[in-house]
Amino acid sequence: MNPILALLVLIPLAGSPLSYLLVKRDRESGIAVTLAVALVTLGLAVYSFWYVYAHVPAIGDYTLMGSYQWVSTPNFGIDLLFGVDGLSSPLILATAALTVFAIIGSRRLIHGGSPPYFALLLLFEGAIMGVFTSLNLVVFYVFWELVMIPMFFLIGVWGGDKRRYAAMKFMIFIFVGSTVMLLAFLAAYLDVSPFSFDIPTLAGKIPDGLQYLPLLASFIGFAVKLPVVPFHSWLPDAYSQAPAPVAVLLAGVQSAMGGYGIIRISIGLFPYAAAQWAWAFLLLGIVTMFYGAIVALLAKELKRMFAYTSLNHMGFVLFGAFATVISGNALGMEGAIFQMFVHAFTAGSLFMVAGYIQQQAGTTEISQLKGLRNTMPRTAGLLVAAAGAAMALPPFGSFLAEIAVIAGGIQANAYTGVTVLVPVLTGGYLLWMIRRVVLTPAAEHFQVRDMPWLDAATLAMYLIPLILLIVFSALILTPAAPVAQWVVHLTGGP
Amino acid sequence: MDYILFAAVAMAAAALGTPFFQLNRARGRAPGYLLAVALTAAIILVALNTLSPQPVPEFGTLLTSDALGGLFALVTLSVTLAVTVFSLPTISIRANGPLYYSLLAFSALGMLFLSYAADLLILFVAWELMSLPTYALAGFDKNRKESNEASAKYAILGALSSAIILYAISLSYGLAGSTQISTVVRAFAAQSTDPLSMIAILLFIVGFGFKMSIVPFHMWVPDAYEGAPITISTLFAAATKKAGFVAAIRVVLVASTVYAVTQGSIFTIPNIFAVLALLTMTLGNLAALTQKSMTRLLAYSSISQAGYILIGFVIFSYAQANPAYALDGTIGMTGALFHIINHSIMVTAAFLAAGLVLIGLKRVDLGAFEGLAKRAPITSFTLSVSLLALAGVPPLNGFWSKLLLFLSVVNGPYAWLAVAAVLNSAFSVAYYVWIIKRMYMDEPESHEKMNEPLTYVLIFAVLTALIIGLGLFPQLGINFAQSAIP
Repeated sequence: MNPILALLVLIPLAGSPLSYLLVKRDRESGIAVTLAVALVTLGLAVYSFWYVYAHVPAIGDYTLMGSYQWVSTPNFGIDLLFGVDGLSSPLILATAALTVFAIIGSRRLIHGGSPPYFALLLLFEGAIMGVFTSLNLVVFYVFWELVMIPMFFLIGVWGGDKRRYAAMKFMIFIFVGSTVMLLAFLAAYLDVSPFSFDIPTLAGKIPDGLQYLPLLASFIGFAVKLPVVPFHSWLPDAYSQAPAPVAVLLAGVQSAMGGYGIIRISIGLFPYAAAQWAWAFLLLGIVTMFYGAIVALLAKELKRMFAYTSLNHMGFVLFGAFATVISGNALGMEGAIFQMFVHAFTAGSLFMVAGYIQQQAGTTEISQLKGLRNTMPRTAGLLVAAAGAAMALPPFGSFLAEIAVIAGGIQANAYTGVTVLVPVLTGGYLLWMIRRVVLTPAAEHFQVRDMPWLDAATLAMYLIPLILLIVFSALILTPAAPVAQWVVHLTGGP
Repeated sequence: MDYILFAAVAMAAAALGTPFFQLNRARGRAPGYLLAVALTAAIILVALNTLSPQPVPEFGTLLTSDALGGLFALVTLSVTLAVTVFSLPTISIRANGPLYYSLLAFSALGMLFLSYAADLLILFVAWELMSLPTYALAGFDKNRKESNEASAKYAILGALSSAIILYAISLSYGLAGSTQISTVVRAFAAQSTDPLSMIAILLFIVGFGFKMSIVPFHMWVPDAYEGAPITISTLFAAATKKAGFVAAIRVVLVASTVYAVTQGSIFTIPNIFAVLALLTMTLGNLAALTQKSMTRLLAYSSISQAGYILIGFVIFSYAQANPAYALDGTIGMTGALFHIINHSIMVTAAFLAAGLVLIGLKRVDLGAFEGLAKRAPITSFTLSVSLLALAGVPPLNGFWSKLLLFLSVVNGPYAWLAVAAVLNSAFSVAYYVWIIKRMYMDEPESHEKMNEPLTYVLIFAVLTALIIGLGLFPQLGINFAQSAIP
C-alpha cells in the first residue's frame, strides 16, 4: 500500500474547489495557490517517475500499488486500485508538467470569469491522473468521463468565436465513444471467474473467442480520443477553438489518454483479437499519419495546422504499438510510448506559441501574419524551435521517437518504411509555414509587440525536456521495455 | 408498533384536516406546513418500518410489510414532501390552496398503500386513491387552457387504464378464486398454458404501463407534464410513475417468477418487456431531441428512463425460467430499483429547477435557459448536475444504476438490449448537454438577476447533495435496492 498515487489524484481534485474560492476572492493570490497545488502534484509525479525508473517493475507488473475499497455489495464490488508502470509514469509526468505550464500561461491569456477556470484546470488534471493510475476498469471509466466535463466547459466558455459549436461536437463525439467503450468493460467483467474489473486480474485471462467485440468497442472509445481517422472530425474544431493553455492540455495530454487506453486495455486485455486484427489497426495508424500531414500542409491557419500536426504525430503511437503486436519486436511499442511523452511537449509548445501570436497579433491566419522575426522576435524564435521539435529534428527527443517507431514498423513489414515520408512532409509544411510567417518582410511601419521575457522563458521550458531526452532517453525507454515485452508475451510473439 | 398504520393515519389526518383551512380567510402557509409535518412523520415511520419490518395485522392480508414496499413508500413520500415544500410560496397565496394540499395528501396516501399492497383489491383502491386527486391537480391552474387539457387527457386515459386493470383483476379472480396476489400468482403458474392467464398478465402490463409511461402507452405524458402545474408534473414523473412500477413488480414480475414459458415460443414475458424497453428508450430519446419546451423535453426524457428500468425487469423475469442467469437477474433488478430511486431524485431536481425558472421568468421554452448561469447560478448548477446524472455521467448516481442495468444484460440472449441501451444513453447526452450549453455558454437576453429564494435553494441543495452523494457512495443505494428485491 503506497499512498503516493492516491495523493496524485486527490490533491488536484481537492485543490479544485479551494482554487475556485481563492481566485474568486483575489485573482493573483488565488492563481498562486492553484499553481502551488499543481507544483505539489508535479513533485509527486516526478517522484513516481523516478521511482519507476529506479525500480523498474517486472514484466506485466506495476509498482507503487495502492488499493482502497469503494463499492462493496454482495454481487458487485469495486476497489480504487492504483498502480504505475513504464507506460503510465511518463504520461503522469507530462500531465503534471503541462498543467503547471498551462496555469502559468493562463495568467496572461485568460481574462473573463476566471474563478471557475482555474478550478476546472485542476479538476481536469486530477481526472487525468486518475485515468493514468487506475487499474480498475470502472474507476478508469469514471475518471475518463470526468475528464470530459471540465474540458467541455473550458472550450465552450473560454474558447474562440465558434466555441459553442466546438464544445458540443467535442462532447458528443467523446461521450458516444466512451459509452461504447463501457460495453467492452462490462463484457470483460463477466468473462472471467471470479468476476473482476481489475486490469491485472483480467490481463491474459479473457477467452480468445470472446475478445473480438470488446476489442472493437474499446478501440472506438480510445480512437475518438487519440484521435484516429475517421473518428477525428471533432479535433480541428476543439483544438483551434480552445484557449491556448487548454489546447495545450487537449493536444498534449488528452490525446495521450487514447494511446494509453489502446496499449493498456485494447491490446492488454484483448491481445488475441488484437493480434488477429493488428494489420487493420496498423493501417489506420499509417492513414492517420499521412492524413494529418497532408491536411496540415493545406491548412491556412496556424492552430488548425498544429491540430493536424498533432493528429499526424499521434498516428505514430497507433502505428508503433501495432508494429510490435505484429513483429514481436519491442522497438515499435517503446517508440510509441516515447512518442506520447514527446508529443505532449511538442504539441504543447506549438499551441502555446499560437496562443501568444493570437494575443499579440490578433490573428493566427497564416496569410495575415508577416515578418514575425521583426514584429515579435522572441515569439518567432520559439515558433521556429517548436516547429523544429515537431519536425523531429535532432537535438529534440521527437527524433528518436519517430525513428524508433518507423524502425519498429519496418520490423513488421518493410513496406511500411514508406512512413518515413511523414516526417519529410511534416518538415516541409512547417518550413513553408516558417517561410511565410517568420521570414517574410514586415509591413513598413510595424510596431514590436512581442511576448514578455518571463513568458518566453516559460515557453522555452517546454522544449527543455525534449532536448534532455535525446541524451537521457533511458529515463523513458528502460521502464518502457518491460511494457513492450509484456505486450509481446500476451500477443504470443517470440 | 404498527408503523405503517400510523403513517397512514398521519397522511389521512393531513388529507382530511387541510380543507378546514379553507374556512379561514387568512389561509397562509399553515396547511402546507401541516402536510409537510405529516409527510415527515410518515417518512420517518416508513423508514423505521423498513429497518425493522413489523406486520400490519389491522389490515389482515391486504398489506405486506416488506423492503420493496418500504423503498417505494420512501421514494413517493419524499417526492411529495419536496413538492409540498416547493409549492409553499406559490400555492399558499391562492384561494384554494388548502384543497391543493389535501389532494396531494390523498394521492400520497394512495401511493403509500399501493407500495405495500398484497391484495389486488387494495391495490386497485390505492391505485384510484392515488390517481383521482392527480386528475384534479393536473387541472389546478383552472384559468389556463393547457392545464385543463392536461387534466382532461390524463383523466380519460387514466380511467381507461383503471378499467383495463380492473378487467385484468376480474380475469385473475376467475382463474384463482381469490384476489390475494400470492394466490393469483400461483394460479397463473398452475394454468400457465391457459390463454386467459396470459391475457390477464398482458392486461396488467398495459394498465400499469400507462402510469409507468412506457411506449406505446405514453401519449398522455408530454401533454400532461407540460400542461399541469410544474410541481404536479414533478409528482407525475417522480412519484406516481414509480407507483406504477411497484404495482408491476408486485403483480407481473412476481407472476413471471412462476410463469412457465411455453416451449419454443418467443411470446414470453421477458421478450415482451425487452421489446417494450427498446421502444420506450429509443422513442423517448428521439422525441426528446426535437423538443422546444423544457417540460416536454423532461417528459420524453422520463419516458426513456422508464425504458432503462425495464431492462432490469427483462433479465429478472428471464432468470426465473433460466437459473443460470440468476446472478444477472439479481444485478438487473438491483439496478432497476436503484434507478427508480435515482430517477426520482434526478427528475425532481430537474423539474423543480425548471419550476423556479417558470416562476422567475414566466416561461420554460428552451430559449429561457440561454445564459441562465449568469442570472440564476444556483438553479443552473442544480439543473446541470441533474441533467448530467440523467445522462449517466459518473460519478453521479444515475451512472451506477445504469451500469448495473447494462451489466446485467451484456452477456446472454439480451446482449442486443445492452447495445441498444448504451447507444441510447450515448445519444441522450446530446439533448441533456444542449441545455447545459444554453445555460453556460449562450448570452442571456437580459442580465437582470433572477430571484432565488432560500426555500428553493434549500431543496436544491438537498437534491444536489443526494445526486452527488449517492454517486460517490453508491454502496448505500445498491445495498438498499438489493435488499428490496422481491
